[in-house]
Amino acid sequence: MTMDNHKTIGYACAYTPLALIHATGFRPYRILPNLDCPDQAGRLLHDNLCPHVKRILDRAMSKQLPDLAGMVFMNSCDAMRRLADAWRVVCPDMATICVDLPTTTSEKDIPVFESELKKLAGTLGDWYGRPLQPENLMESLRLYNELANAFERMRSRVQQGVMRNGAVLLQEAYLQAACTEPQAMLSRLKMLLTEKDQEQKSDMIPMYLFGNVLPDLEAFALFEASGARIVAEDLCTGSRAFAEVKMDFKKPGEMLAAYAKGLLQRQPCARTLCEAQPGKMAEDIVAAARRHQARGVIGYTVKFCDPYIARMPGIRAALKQEGIPFLLLEGDCTVRTMGQQKTRIEAFTEMLR
Amino acid sequence: MMKEYFDSLESGLQSAIAQGKGSPRKTYSLELARLGQRLYSGEHKVAWCGIAAPYDLLNAMEVTSCFVEFIGAMLASTGIVGDFIEATEQIGYSSDSCSYHRAVSGAAMKGLMPKPEFLIGTTCPCSGGLAVIEHLAAHFEKQLFVLHIPQNESREEVRHLAEQMRAMTSFVSKITGVPLDPDKLKSAIGKTNRTREIITQVYALARQVPSPINSKELSNFGIVMALFLGTDAGVTIAETYLEELQKRTQSMGSNPAKEKIRLLWVQNRIQFKNPIENLLEQEYGAKIVIDELNDITWDPIDNGDIYEGLARRSISIPFNGSIQKRITHLQKLAQDYRIDGAINPCNWGCRQGTGARGMIEEGFKAVGIPVLNLEVDCVDPRKFTEGQVKTRIEAFLEMVESRK
Ligand code: SF4
Ligand code: SF4
Repeated sequence: MTMDNHKTIGYACAYTPLALIHATGFRPYRILPNLDCPDQAGRLLHDNLCPHVKRILDRAMSKQLPDLAGMVFMNSCDAMRRLADAWRVVCPDMATICVDLPTTTSEKDIPVFESELKKLAGTLGDWYGRPLQPENLMESLRLYNELANAFERMRSRVQQGVMRNGAVLLQEAYLQAACTEPQAMLSRLKMLLTEKDQEQKSDMIPMYLFGNVLPDLEAFALFEASGARIVAEDLCTGSRAFAEVKMDFKKPGEMLAAYAKGLLQRQPCARTLCEAQPGKMAEDIVAAARRHQARGVIGYTVKFCDPYIARMPGIRAALKQEGIPFLLLEGDCTVRTMGQQKTRIEAFTEMLR
Repeated sequence: MMKEYFDSLESGLQSAIAQGKGSPRKTYSLELARLGQRLYSGEHKVAWCGIAAPYDLLNAMEVTSCFVEFIGAMLASTGIVGDFIEATEQIGYSSDSCSYHRAVSGAAMKGLMPKPEFLIGTTCPCSGGLAVIEHLAAHFEKQLFVLHIPQNESREEVRHLAEQMRAMTSFVSKITGVPLDPDKLKSAIGKTNRTREIITQVYALARQVPSPINSKELSNFGIVMALFLGTDAGVTIAETYLEELQKRTQSMGSNPAKEKIRLLWVQNRIQFKNPIENLLEQEYGAKIVIDELNDITWDPIDNGDIYEGLARRSISIPFNGSIQKRITHLQKLAQDYRIDGAINPCNWGCRQGTGARGMIEEGFKAVGIPVLNLEVDCVDPRKFTEGQVKTRIEAFLEMVESRK
């Protein structure tokens, strides 16, 4: 299968089963909220919905989309579900599916998500005109995990500070990977990884960044210009989308269940919770900041994101208890609002010197 | 403080009813006061839950259970919610979230929520609701179980939810130490079905033109009645409404009440004291004859297949699934109740409902129903601007009347 004969499927959430889409013969293409389109989504979606989904809908309303054979939505939160609804109004002729996504990751959730993946595979098979073959899924899973491993190597170099403008370069690669066929992306990453080490400026403050949607390269450049070196991040437009899916199965018939489990058990975004340990997200953030030897934590969340809003008091309290300085930035997933926050980032970095 | 409040509410209502000054709404409020007493008595096993939990199953297991939003609504109705919402602002809870949930978090912070034995979260109706349940589980350091409510009612999805509900039963038994008694469950389901049957008749009477119901009598009814499913209280409330509406229908026969405009209320009412219902009825002869959630969207539960029946019921909630499902339901209500207009309060902070405001409006337009979108906060009275709301309602009703 060459890249040319891949039809394109749009997606919008880091939980999307990319390998499954790829295995049915499609190229997954993330519709990112980073194009400047006229603000029209308000006609269908209220002002109180997160700018992530509104900007994506703006793209559809402005016809700023690639030629899509269909759109795969994940039922990850109220806002995403409303996006799927509004998309059907704006693009009535486009094939769409909204895949149900469990909110917890315990054993009882695996069969639920597995059957959703089965349903998705059937639908994609219908759209493409051929059913999903286990060997194709196996191969796509292998490819995406190889891609994740290459990203992991790159992340580790960024963390070590041996890549000048590392966070920006890494983010650029994530954005490309979100819209590129994995084999081609793998080649690009391999090339990037062969580049010689170049030390970052030594007076930068190591920071851990977490949040949801921040695709903009300029935002990462802004962190660096403000003296903050992002040593690691957990964003849904960053590492979370390209993390390894751990697969554990014996027979081909168990592959989809293993994929469901692997996807659900990756690093969660705030929309997922741990039943066994309510509020675990706060602990995860503290642990990640420590693990990466960050001197401070920056949270970036888009406005109106209920999953993050509800967790923020717990996150604040946990970081405070551990004595880790915290800066929360709220925005609309563009660098425009980040720019307004420049002074705050600089002051935060200064305070940590 | 809360225990005293519910005690005095209960005794006041009970004596009013004993003196012959009863009404269906008083019976309903009496049972709510009793639920409040149980929640705050310290003697009952309490569970805080999400809206789509199977309350009859929990009632059969002798757990006093309630959705957390009830507390937000109650604090709003008693006029003291502002302090609780403010408390959450101090710990960094954004004012962009739903005030039901901020009020609940504030109540927990200030020690006003009884400590539960456990919590049951539900993914329907909203992400915010589930997140606040998780927050409470962390706050109280209590165990949490989450029911993932599927989007559709396919056989497989129903089966999955039924399985989760079975797992929930084991979870509850493990914590309370009391196994589920199958006879108690059957008896509870019998009461659920009986309540369902009577409420179906109540709604059929409310549909009549003119309707024997007034704008306030059935406010919050559908959503709150879920708490009484599987209990005698549920049957009693439903019967009281039915008897009263039958009486009114008979007496109205020869002398129909004035009813110029019939309205549908979308989602939940405004929970704090406000002049809207009085304004509608007294100045415009306009009446809210139907609230979106006052409908039976599920079949009687078959005793041979209880968990699947419970699962189907949770999936059928109009707030669950795609907006198209919800719009189709609203359009059906609009036709069945022969309404002239709809009011959507657009609770600020509600992505699930308000988020779809534009699509809901289009859906009503498609069946020729004008909608008034109020932009209010249904729980936080501090943002309510009475004059503005009045002006918008007046203009809307004039427009509706001119179309008749
Ligand atoms: S940013 Fe938050 S509200 Fe928006 S789509 Fe992501 S999880 Fe949902
Ligand atoms: S108003 Fe909306 S966000 Fe608030 S509890 Fe109800 S459904 Fe959830």
